[in-house]
Amino acid sequence: MAHQIASEEIIRLAVELSPSGMMMTDADGTIVLVNAEVERLFGYTREELLGRSVDILVPMSMRAAHESDRASFMAHPEARRMGVGRDLYGMRKDGSKVPVEIGLNPIKTSDGLMILSAIADITERKLADERFRLVVEACPSGMIMTNADGTIVLVNAEAERLFGYARAELYGRSIDLLVPAVARADHANHRKKFLARPEARRMGIGRDLYGVRKNGTQIPIEIGLNPIHTSDGRMVLSAITDITERKRASEALAARSEELLRSNADLEQFAYVVSHDLQEPLRMVTYYTELLAEYLKDRLDEKSKKYIHYAVDGAKRMQQLVKGLLAYSRINSQGRSPMPIKSEIVVKSVLDSLKVAIEESCAEIICEPLPVVRADTVQLAQVFQNLIGNAIKFHGRHSPCIRIGAKQNDKKWTFLVEDNGIGIDRQYSERVFQMFQRLHERGRYEGNGIGLAIAKKIVERHGGRIWFDSEPQHGTTFYFTIPAADGENA
Amino acid sequence: MTDEIHILHILLVEDNEADVDLTLEMLTSAKFDIKFSVARDGVEAIDFLCGDGRWSEPGHPTLILLDLNLPRRDGRQVLSILKSDEQFRRIPVIVLSSSDSEKDITSCYHLGANCYLVKPGDLQAYRGLVRMLEDFWLGVVKLPRCEGHSIATSIGYGH
Repeated sequence: MAHQIASEEIIRLAVELSPSGMMMTDADGTIVLVNAEVERLFGYTREELLGRSVDILVPMSMRAAHESDRASFMAHPEARRMGVGRDLYGMRKDGSKVPVEIGLNPIKTSDGLMILSAIADITERKLADERFRLVVEACPSGMIMTNADGTIVLVNAEAERLFGYARAELYGRSIDLLVPAVARADHANHRKKFLARPEARRMGIGRDLYGVRKNGTQIPIEIGLNPIHTSDGRMVLSAITDITERKRASEALAARSEELLRSNADLEQFAYVVSHDLQEPLRMVTYYTELLAEYLKDRLDEKSKKYIHYAVDGAKRMQQLVKGLLAYSRINSQGRSPMPIKSEIVVKSVLDSLKVAIEESCAEIICEPLPVVRADTVQLAQVFQNLIGNAIKFHGRHSPCIRIGAKQNDKKWTFLVEDNGIGIDRQYSERVFQMFQRLHERGRYEGNGIGLAIAKKIVERHGGRIWFDSEPQHGTTFYFTIPAADGENA
Repeated sequence: MTDEIHILHILLVEDNEADVDLTLEMLTSAKFDIKFSVARDGVEAIDFLCGDGRWSEPGHPTLILLDLNLPRRDGRQVLSILKSDEQFRRIPVIVLSSSDSEKDITSCYHLGANCYLVKPGDLQAYRGLVRMLEDFWLGVVKLPRCEGHSIATSIGYGH
């Protein structure tokens, strides 16, 4: 057990071991007591301090003020902090200054009224404050710190630039100065709510926020709010970004894509109307030319029959083109929303519908296992129909051998339709997908030259891509991608 | 039964004269004794049935062949009027259109069309279609009586 120690000794030890500097002075400012921390703080030994005026610890510039402050404290002695709102410094033996915070307590002793000062070294805090200030200052966003009342206490360079004020003009002013008049009432409410539940978040999500510049103009801004606890109470640090440029760019982008959508829709509508309305007169040309040929059957010479045949043939070909155009123009307007479907079943039905062509050409079809994908069944069938149909149609000297397969990469499936046909020269890699492009003279292969254009548009409508690899005379492989169905694997 | 009842009467609602001629050409070459009336637009079609406009008394067609794209009141409107009318709803309406759009087809059946046919691209096919139409609608199908629909209506409503 420790030795019994007198209560006076306990008090002395408590003072001596206090982490704050403790110093007692008398009414004249003469130092009568210091502890170890004061020695450390000021670089004096206690022998050097005791009996000396406290003035040796006060920087020259503050001595006069200090003396009158002391006098007023003695006149109204009560425990309080020294120099509230001012930066206090102590002076060390070596003449350097140290930032301090001082608590004052009057003590009545048998030797009269004494002042017990608790002195805290706030060098670290000052450094932290300075670092904070530097970080705020260097931040590329406008930074404004306000207290609970909405009074501006800190502003950085970017905020000055943003709002057109010098910081001196903002300190001490209400944040309302920077808020558009129409939003002020709401702003006060929002501030109250934020302070009731302070957490870092964005201000006014879903609303358009504006700030008012010194010249009265408004700028669109985005604001991040951060609650900060300081020795001066709860503060709100706002990071403010000028989004004028971003807003302008996104508005321009939105306008342009809307325009694009509209012009696409217009084009589709145009193609639809043209192709639909062309069908009627074309049918008339076809019908009546044929009817005429029937009526005059016995009276026409070979040449006339040939010419009538040209006319009918031309009209029928145009019907095919118009039909193709109509189908093309309907891809977006009549497409259904993609949903998970079994592509294997789609391919089976396509092969069924191509049964005659497959049998006639003695084609060999190899269909590998195919996945579930997210697509419009009818349109996916159309793509396979066109690709497999082409593979059968454009066969070489051998009978066609066609392989259909798929492999997964990431969240999409790449389908392939491979044939051993006549192939496509690389120089046509873009042209084959264009409307009404044919790579062969008419009559050699049937078709209206729109099958691949339709396939491309359908694949792109599904967010995919279509392309091919080919070696002329040896075959072609068409590839296209379709998104995988959610949560579906191979 | 009198012969009167056995006369087949087709109302052709079609604005294109060439189409009218063509349809008549195909139908008259066939084996049925058919009486034709032609309405050139939707308004005329309803006038014909009601005996208004250039008709002095209501026509009682056995069958209506209806084009969709018509001036004034179009085919869909005609269909909608016919199929919501107590008197006219039982007359079979065959839509004969150049449109093969899903939207047109679905909306016509929705409005109560009895049959939707797409006009084919060449003469042979058109001829074949008209023949089939004739065989089925005039030969196979049992059609309601042209007149006396008040009886049919009262039977239909169980009075």
